[in-house]
Amino acid sequence: MAAVPTSTDSSSGAKRAPRATGWLLLSPLLLWLLLFVVLPMTILFVYSFCQRDELGQVVFSFTGSNYTRILDPTYLGIFGRSLWYATLTTGLCLMIGYPVAYFIGRSPPSRRSTLLLLVMIPFWISFLLRTYAWISLLKGEGLVSALLQWTHLLVGPLDILYTPTAVVLGLVYTYLPFMILPIFTSAEKLDHSMIEAALDLGAGPVRAFTQVIIPLTKPGIFAGVLLVFVPSIGMFAVTDLMGGAKVPMIGNVIQNQFGQARDWPFGAALGITFLALFAVAFWFLHDRGEARR
Amino acid sequence: MQNHPDTQLEWEFRLAPAPAAPAADAPTSTETMVDLRGVTKSFGSVTAVDNVDLTIRKGEFLTLLGPSGCGKTTLLRLLAGFEIPTSGQILLEGRDVSGVPPYRRDVNQVFQSYAIFPHLSVADNIAFGLKMRHVPANERRERVEEALALVSLAGLGKRRPHELSGGQRQRVALARALVCRPKVLLLDEPLSALDAKLRHAMQLELKQLQRQLGITFVFVTHDQEEALIMSDRIAVIHRGRIDQLGTATDIYHAPASAFTADFIGEANLLDGDIVSSNGVTAHIRLDEGVEVAVRASALRSGSTRALMSIRPEKIYITRTKPAKDNCFKGVIENEIFRGAMDELRIRVAHNLQLMAVVANESAHEHAWHKGDTVYCAIHSDDIVVVEQK
Amino acid sequence: MNIRIRPLIAAGLAGLALLVASCSKTEKKEVNLFGWSEYVPQAVLDQFEQETGIKVNYTTYASNEEMLSKLLGGAAEFDLVQPSEYVVEALIAKGKLEALDFANIPNFKNVAPEFLRQPHDPEQKFSVPYMAGTVGIVVNTEKIKDPIVGMDDVFSGKYANRIVTLNDNREILTWALRSVGRDINQITPEAIAAARPVLAKWLPQIKVYDSDSPKTALLNGDVDIGVVWSGEAALLYQEDKKFAYVLPQEGAHLWIDSLVIPKGAPHKADAEKFINFILRPEISVLISADFPYTNPNAEARKLLSPEQLGNPASYPPPGKLEAFRDIGKAAAAVDKLITDLKGGS
Repeated sequence: MAAVPTSTDSSSGAKRAPRATGWLLLSPLLLWLLLFVVLPMTILFVYSFCQRDELGQVVFSFTGSNYTRILDPTYLGIFGRSLWYATLTTGLCLMIGYPVAYFIGRSPPSRRSTLLLLVMIPFWISFLLRTYAWISLLKGEGLVSALLQWTHLLVGPLDILYTPTAVVLGLVYTYLPFMILPIFTSAEKLDHSMIEAALDLGAGPVRAFTQVIIPLTKPGIFAGVLLVFVPSIGMFAVTDLMGGAKVPMIGNVIQNQFGQARDWPFGAALGITFLALFAVAFWFLHDRGEARR
Repeated sequence: MQNHPDTQLEWEFRLAPAPAAPAADAPTSTETMVDLRGVTKSFGSVTAVDNVDLTIRKGEFLTLLGPSGCGKTTLLRLLAGFEIPTSGQILLEGRDVSGVPPYRRDVNQVFQSYAIFPHLSVADNIAFGLKMRHVPANERRERVEEALALVSLAGLGKRRPHELSGGQRQRVALARALVCRPKVLLLDEPLSALDAKLRHAMQLELKQLQRQLGITFVFVTHDQEEALIMSDRIAVIHRGRIDQLGTATDIYHAPASAFTADFIGEANLLDGDIVSSNGVTAHIRLDEGVEVAVRASALRSGSTRALMSIRPEKIYITRTKPAKDNCFKGVIENEIFRGAMDELRIRVAHNLQLMAVVANESAHEHAWHKGDTVYCAIHSDDIVVVEQK
Repeated sequence: MNIRIRPLIAAGLAGLALLVASCSKTEKKEVNLFGWSEYVPQAVLDQFEQETGIKVNYTTYASNEEMLSKLLGGAAEFDLVQPSEYVVEALIAKGKLEALDFANIPNFKNVAPEFLRQPHDPEQKFSVPYMAGTVGIVVNTEKIKDPIVGMDDVFSGKYANRIVTLNDNREILTWALRSVGRDINQITPEAIAAARPVLAKWLPQIKVYDSDSPKTALLNGDVDIGVVWSGEAALLYQEDKKFAYVLPQEGAHLWIDSLVIPKGAPHKADAEKFINFILRPEISVLISADFPYTNPNAEARKLLSPEQLGNPASYPPPGKLEAFRDIGKAAAAVDKLITDLKGGS
């Protein structure tokens, strides 16, 4: 090699790609984004400053009252609870999902696909069916209750269904695969020699895990947390079905605005606020993730 | 291939004092660092390492050399502690470490893929082992700086691994292992990902470093040339066993088996019956009908057959018949251009072809050409009997 | 009646059907019916097409509110809709309905007078009752032996955590308004303030809110008493006679779902033909056979079996019944009240 610094930076070659082709290739995605993301968002945003008439139709006269209404302790409290449940769900999913995902990711490729299949199979069944199955499992005269009483682990029927515990259980069950899959992808890609290097340098299994494996699977953890936290905070079906609709989450409140309450503008304002919170949280998390990289 | 930082480093190599000829001042002691006693490692029905006895001396540069799948890497992993022997013992300075996990062994490894932690800076990568050993922060910083300087990476501590070139990463891996001051440094084909020129520079530098530090190096490679250049001793591994253990010169000039003769460098392997011996010179009739003379001392009494190895560079090609012992007339069947050298395939008998290597003079008038009739002369000392029975 | 099946699925199906319906706009004779899911038997639609050659495109919705947003959104042209009484009232007030030509609906005479000229359509110009029902109390008489006559018994505290109710904010508020002796159709801030302490005491006793299938919790044995749609109660009674149906003595919600023709419907005459067809006694009983609500068709009732008529949830003894009036924007205040009380528990 010559002593003259040679620049074979790959990006300089990419710059030469014709612009028009790039945009053409992107156009389906851009169109999709425009039609199904930008447009609905804009409508939602506009609605959030409108009012409703008696029939629940949106009247285009500007008001900020929908946003001031959110500051009512009722809705703030629900925001808070939704955050807490979603955090709890995400935490539990991480605790259960990480070892599972790691185990699958590190098992031999032949067994890996079988194990992944087992994680995926529940997806083939309708979400509602699975939720109703949980209801019949957890009911006072149900299988779990009978089993626990039979083994004398429990006196009297199980009283979990239609409680917050059941809601969190349902949320964890529903979203666990969303935690497992991205972490699995990270764990699968994890070079085994990284772990060996850690052990070689004097890290015991625990420190190898915390100092090397966790940081290296962080992209998976980050994606998993996002994929579980975001939908679980807005979930309303599980709260209705397994929680007996007793403790409303923010998703239920929004759903109600577009249904019974016939108050789309308020629902839109809730949705926009929600979105803004996520954007800020994502930006914050992502920024910190980038900074550490 | 390489980015400019490498190019700079290369200059540094060139400015560094050229290493002396191998083995001239090697301070290899005779004290034992590692002792493998009857070590066997099986994976199911496959025996990767088969009853190996090996003594590694303190401060030596030992290379485990062999083709892929021969068990050399498994042997290294046994030394590192990633594998536990199925049977046998591994002693490190007299202490049995057979079942001791890698994180409790004073042994460090440079991985083939380097295994640099991508989430840590260069300095944090190097500090990792010290941190795990609870070395105080001050001392840690000093030792990291030292290690960076040692591998000519001073000032690059804050870099991220992805900002480094392949060669630089290799140096980080080296520094990360050396900073722990291991009793033995294990190197698993660390140079295989580098391009030829950089690899050669690194070979010399590694050897230099090893002498300077006096740390025992166990180096795994499948590249015989690399092994010859760097090692104090080479263990040729074949099918999970040590085929031959010796210095580079020993192994090259006196291969103890057909495998070693063939694997190290190039060789013409010839089989024949011992027909006569006068105590000084013995005559062997090759299976192809040609007779060669070898030194009688190379043969055991009572042997009837011998397998011989002739290095291609030991065959002298002339146009006129020289007055020598082993001289064969033949025709050049093929001429292969190899850069500095020219490889000739010479038919000397109906079914015997010899390979010879000569300095390349193809541009000259008197160059060798296909179809030329030539004489091949071989000194009887250069015919090495590798096997006999 | 409010929500019958999972809104998610229904909305998806309705959307799909709407798309299909609007795409196949040929000049074939057809009527576009926008109705509740699981409310019109397929056999009835088939027979109508056989007799008249008019094809009925049945698209469905799961709640009045969903129907309203689609109807008023104007994306599709419907000829017939099945709103509940308070929505009929609002639609009339907004001038969104066509006056019916009763000359085309001779079978209208079959409808029992007690379902006619209700407050939501006082002149009976715009709507024809399709099915009716009540909201009442279901009691598992094997578990609960005490007599239950009204909401105050349900929420006495004795059955705390053994109760299922509809998950319908206005309905829930109505029970409290009756308990404090207020007009259920006057939703003022004072009325809400008066109902609030009652509900604050009642709601924590509820184990499940479920509008879609309140019978599930009762059948599973997770609760022993419920305040549910009469249709659900009728199904429970069919399942097991131990489930008794009680109309609260202080009054109960009488709901009437009607057939109406939205303004500008493209096939008005054919839609009226369909209404007339539905009102035929022998057709009407087909609906009753599938869906055990209260049939407002007096002639059809004569054809019902004693067993059908004996179901106390379908045909309860006379009681104090009240229809809902539209409350307009007050829905938001109701929503906030119930959300607040639920959230506080």
